[in-house]
Amino acid sequence: MAGLFIGFLIPHALLSAYFHLQFHSTLKKSGKLSLSAIAESQKNTIDLFLQERVVNLFNLFHSREFTLEPDSQNMENYLGNLRQTNDAFVDVGFLNDRGVQTGYAGPFPALLGKDYSNEVWFKTLMGQSEDYLISDIYLGFRNKPHFTIAIRQSIDGRRYVMRSTLDPDKFYMFLRSISHGKDVDSTLVNRKGYFQVVDPGKGNLLALSDVTPESDSGAGVMEIDRNGEPILTAYTWLKETPWALLVSQPLSVAHADMYRARQVLIASLVVIILSIGAIIYYTTRKLMVRAQATAEKGLTLQHQLIHASKLAAIGELSTGIAHEINNPLAIIIATTGVIKDLLNPDFHLDASPEAIGKELAIIDSAAFRAKRITHQLLDLGRKSQPAMVQSDVHAILDDVLGGLKEREFQKKNIEIIRNYDPDVPAILIDPDAMRQVFLNLLNNAGDAIEGPGTITVTSGLADGFVRVTVKDSGEGIEPEYMKRIFDPFFTTKDVGKGTGLGLSVSRNIVELMGGRIDALSVKGAGSSFTVSLPARVSGDN
Amino acid sequence: MENSTKSGLKVLLVDDEDRFRNALSRQLSVRGFRVFEAECGEKAIEMTIAERPDVVILDQEMPGMNGTEAFDELKKIDPFIEIIMLTGHATVEIALYIMKKGAFDYIMKPLNIDELLYKIEDAYTRRLLNVKKTNTGSGRGLV
Repeated sequence: MAGLFIGFLIPHALLSAYFHLQFHSTLKKSGKLSLSAIAESQKNTIDLFLQERVVNLFNLFHSREFTLEPDSQNMENYLGNLRQTNDAFVDVGFLNDRGVQTGYAGPFPALLGKDYSNEVWFKTLMGQSEDYLISDIYLGFRNKPHFTIAIRQSIDGRRYVMRSTLDPDKFYMFLRSISHGKDVDSTLVNRKGYFQVVDPGKGNLLALSDVTPESDSGAGVMEIDRNGEPILTAYTWLKETPWALLVSQPLSVAHADMYRARQVLIASLVVIILSIGAIIYYTTRKLMVRAQATAEKGLTLQHQLIHASKLAAIGELSTGIAHEINNPLAIIIATTGVIKDLLNPDFHLDASPEAIGKELAIIDSAAFRAKRITHQLLDLGRKSQPAMVQSDVHAILDDVLGGLKEREFQKKNIEIIRNYDPDVPAILIDPDAMRQVFLNLLNNAGDAIEGPGTITVTSGLADGFVRVTVKDSGEGIEPEYMKRIFDPFFTTKDVGKGTGLGLSVSRNIVELMGGRIDALSVKGAGSSFTVSLPARVSGDN
Repeated sequence: MENSTKSGLKVLLVDDEDRFRNALSRQLSVRGFRVFEAECGEKAIEMTIAERPDVVILDQEMPGMNGTEAFDELKKIDPFIEIIMLTGHATVEIALYIMKKGAFDYIMKPLNIDELLYKIEDAYTRRLLNVKKTNTGSGRGLV
């Protein structure tokens, strides 16, 4: 007995360690992926913001009021136009082809008449082919952090410039607004790693960021340590100007969802390991009493392998559940939105009880779809203690095949062939659970057949096992799917028709009775599923 | 964001889940969008050729042609079409991949209608900018 326990504990300890490692790598990967996706999404919105501001400035050249010699009223009107589109615009200036600001409106009137021809941004704009430029944040003549958008326009062979200053604080407010409530911290840094836009609580403008992405690296994710707290940072370079967007999240927040999932996982693992332990203890005691034949040890080892695979399945569950429950949830939330619209007097829609009742019916059916999934899931975990009764397998099969199922098959033109072996004895099984298994197999067989076909149910006794095979003349299973058919939530059926839990629940049930399910399939020629159950009878120790 | 003229903005919704698509389509319609629906990638291609939508809301997981394949086809028909991917938690990786290929944004199911509205309007603004930019060469026209 001690040996068997060691044989049980060691593989499970190893397995747990493996899952722990596996979990951590999944955790890291998924945290990085979602942060990168948020960064990419924000980048597009920021680029769009900058593009729009550039267009706003170009539009001044095209406005009816445009003149090559603007007076202060013209300039005030330009600024008014700009500030109407966005309040980040601080001022506006018009520069002649020698770089002298001949028109200005804004809070620094002393800038009128200023010569910009030696400023870096002016020289760059005049020297490049692109007709606009977004500068880095700088102090400039006014000694206050700001950045400039400048555009160049040729008129009658002379090149004029319209420039405007943007307020980094307003830009920061915009950056915050696009997070849509996501718990992330977004900043912009230039090529050298100096903050261009930053949360005033997290850093100062023009100070050096502790993260400097390489400028030719496109996008990526890194983990850094900030005052002892590990932080995950995704970065991506803007298209409009050489700034990198850094989106950061403390590791504890980035991984919070996964940690919650892990707690559930650990709790289920403990329960499962304990119940497996109990079952093994129980069966081993029986085995010890019965005979210490070596063959039995082999059987126990086989059980352990089977249970190990069950642990793996639980790991896959957490992602599967989220996905399967999310679909009905999306319907419920969207339909709730429709009802809100119906009740909103602004939209003048039909808010009669009948109209709302129709929407409620949709919510109802989606909620039931979610409920069906959770119920099947509960079944997956519940059957740890089968109620074993000496039962006739043929009677259970006939019970399932009779009644509704028979009529359903007749309607679909499917013939049932019973190939029962009269020598099969009544054996110790949980009849209710086996009914569920056979029903699942027959449902699948029925679904696999398009048009007329046959389902053959064969029973037999061999090597101490009772075998029941359900064979259909359907279309067969794609070879690449064969490995996955027993995985929870794997289904090839249409949405709403199958949850992908039938076969995995069935395998669970059969394995808990010491048996197994094997599948064989030939594409185009049908599939067969064989349930093997140990031929034990009551009084058998 | 300034208020872009969204009345008449054509949105194509692509999702195989009828009830979800329907509910979303009705919410967008009452808000002034012209909404078209498709239940699969193949239908989305037909609708794009026939109706020339401005913005497409594209589900990633559909039977037959998936979102990624549909994305490529739609961009071939109209390079300026803006696409917002609909994803589940498990498919953020694909959303990221498609954004790098030029999709405007992604949104996770179950979704918040206000967030979707923002994204549609931004996507539409980007489309207008890109169309104008191409039509007027390097100089910018009026938007």
